[in-house]
Amino acid sequence: MAAPLEIINACKVFRTPEGGTMTALDGVSLKLASAEFVTLLGPSGCGKTTLLRTISGFETLDDGDVLIDGAAVTQLPAHRRPVNTVFQRYALFGHMSVARNVGYALEIAGRERREIDSRVGEMLDLVGLSGMGQRRISQLSGGQQQRVALARALAGKPKLLLLDEPLSALDKNLRQKMQQELKAIQRELGIGFVFVTHDQEEALTMSDRIAVLAHGRIQQIGAPSMLYQSPANLFTAEFLGESNLLPVTLEGGHARLSDGQGFACAHAPGRATLLLRPEALALTAPEGPALRFSGTLRETYYTGKDHQIALETPGFGMIRALLRTGGTLPEPGSPLTLHAPATGLHLIDEVAP
Amino acid sequence: MLRRLLGLYGLLFFAFIYAPILLVVVYSFNANTVNMMVWDGFTLDWYRQIFGLQTTVTESATYVDSSAQLYAAVRTSLVVAVTTSVLSTVFGTALALAVARYRFRLAGLYRTAMMVPMIMPDIVLGLALLIFFITIGMNLSLLTIIIGQSTFLISYVFVTVSARLAEVDTSVEEASADLGATPAQTFRKVTLPGIAPGILGGWLLAFIISMDDLVITYFIAGTGDTTLPVHIWGMLRRGIKPEINAIATLMLLFTLGVAAIGLYFRSRRQK
Repeated sequence: MAAPLEIINACKVFRTPEGGTMTALDGVSLKLASAEFVTLLGPSGCGKTTLLRTISGFETLDDGDVLIDGAAVTQLPAHRRPVNTVFQRYALFGHMSVARNVGYALEIAGRERREIDSRVGEMLDLVGLSGMGQRRISQLSGGQQQRVALARALAGKPKLLLLDEPLSALDKNLRQKMQQELKAIQRELGIGFVFVTHDQEEALTMSDRIAVLAHGRIQQIGAPSMLYQSPANLFTAEFLGESNLLPVTLEGGHARLSDGQGFACAHAPGRATLLLRPEALALTAPEGPALRFSGTLRETYYTGKDHQIALETPGFGMIRALLRTGGTLPEPGSPLTLHAPATGLHLIDEVAP
Repeated sequence: MLRRLLGLYGLLFFAFIYAPILLVVVYSFNANTVNMMVWDGFTLDWYRQIFGLQTTVTESATYVDSSAQLYAAVRTSLVVAVTTSVLSTVFGTALALAVARYRFRLAGLYRTAMMVPMIMPDIVLGLALLIFFITIGMNLSLLTIIIGQSTFLISYVFVTVSARLAEVDTSVEEASADLGATPAQTFRKVTLPGIAPGILGGWLLAFIISMDDLVITYFIAGTGDTTLPVHIWGMLRRGIKPEINAIATLMLLFTLGVAAIGLYFRSRRQK
C-alpha cells in the first residue's frame, strides 16, 4: 500500500513586501507510513501552516515534491487534490444550510440527490449534529460550527484530512472534548490526519507522531513520549513541556555538573546539556545515586494536584519543579533542597547559550 | 435646555433639506396657473397635462411641447439607464474582483484610478468626452451617451462591490476549492452569492445616477436623443411653469421606488 502522504525536500521562499525574502520551508521531508495522526507543531512563523498549504495546494513549492497515496500532486491545483481541510476559522458558507455545507463536495462532484442526503446524514451523526441539517450557519455556536466544518471536510471521503489549528477558537473545556472526539473519529475512519497547532499540550494528547518545526525545518519527529523524554535538541526540549537545562562536561563514562556533582553516563566526551524535567525532582532523596540541588524557594503555585515551584540556586539559576501535593512546603524565601535520581538521565548534544 | 436646542437644530436641519422638495410636490397640485407660489386650490391638471389628457389649463400656462416629446425623452432615459447600468455593473464588478483577488504591481494605483472619475468635475468629464468623440470621428448619438455615462458609472459599481468584497472572507473561496470546486464553480456558488447585495446596490446606484445625469449627457447627446433631464433643462429655459413640478414629483416617486426595491432585497438577503 502506498503511503498516504509523502513530502520530499519541500522548499518555499516568500518575498516580503520590503523586498527581502523569508524562507518558510527549508528542505522538509515527511512521510506518513500509515493512517496515522501526525501533528505539525511549532511557534508562529515556523512554516507549519505553509507546509499544510502546500499539501492542500494553496501554495506551490519552489522545489521538492508532494505525493498523496503514491501519486505526485505537486503540480495539481487545490481543487484536484484528494485532500480536504478543516480551516482555522471554519470558513463555512454562510448563505447555505448546514446540510448544503456538509454536502458541498458531493454536490460539486455531481452526485445524486439521494446519495448526498444519506452521506450528509451519516456525517452529521458522526460529528454529533444529527437532525440539524436545516439550520443556518449563523444559528450555530462556535463548537457546532467546528463540527460542521469537520463533517464538510470528511463528507467527500478524502484520502487525507488536513486540520489548520481548528480548535484554537474554542474555550478550554470544549477544546479538550473535541481533541478526544477528533482522535476517535480518526481511528474510526482510518485515514491520515495532518494537524497543525502551536499548542504543545494539544499535540502531546492527540498525536501518533509529532513533527516539531522551527525556522522552516523539522527539528525532530517521533512519538509524543519519545519527543518529551528524549528531545534531540534544545529547541524541542524547551518547546515541549517545561525543562531545566543544565550544562555538563563529559569524560571517561562520567558526566559532571558545574558544581562538581557527577553521575555515570556512557556518552561521548565533550560538552553537553542535561535535561531535567520538573516532575523528576522531589523533596525526598530517592534510593540509589541522586543529584541534589539546594537553594532558596522563590515561587510556589498551587494547581490542585501539584505544586509548581521555582528554586533559586547559586550554581544553576532558577530550577523549576513539579511536586505532588501532600507534603508541606516551606514559605517562599526559606532554604530548600530538591533531589533527582541520577539514572536514565537524558543528555542533549548541544550547549545551552 | 440643551436638549431642546439640539432638538430644534435637528428639526431645522431636516426642514432645510426636505422643505424645498416638499414644496415642489405641493405645488404640483396647485391650481394657480399664474403664480405657483400662491395656493389656489387642488388640481390634478398638471398630471393630466403630462399624460396628454383633457385639462382646463390654457395653453399659455403650459409648455408647448407635446406629451409625445416628453415620452420620447423618458424612453431614451430608460434605454440609456438600463444599458449603462448593466454594462457598468458587469465591468465594475469584474474590475473590483480583479483588484481585490489578484496581487499585481501597482494594484493601489489601479484602485485610485478607479475612484478618480467620481470626483472629476462633470463639466470637465463632459467636455473631455465630447472632444474625444469628435476627435475619433464618432457622431453624437445614443451610443455616445451610453459609452460616456459608463466611463464614470463603472467607478460607482467598482466602489460598491469592492466594499462588499472586503467583507467576504477569502478563506471561504479556498474552502470551496479545497472541496473540489473549479474556479468557475467557486465563483458561481460562493463568491457571487457573497457579493450579490453589493452588485445589486451598485447596479441600482448606477441606474439612478444615469437617470439623473444632466451635465455630462448634455455634452455628448445627439440632437435626436434627448434624455429626460436634458429635456427638462430645455423646458426650464422657457420659464418655470407648474407642469415641471408634476414631472419632478413623478421622477422623485420613481427614484424612491427603485431605492425601496434595493433596500427590500438587501434586507431579505441579510436574514
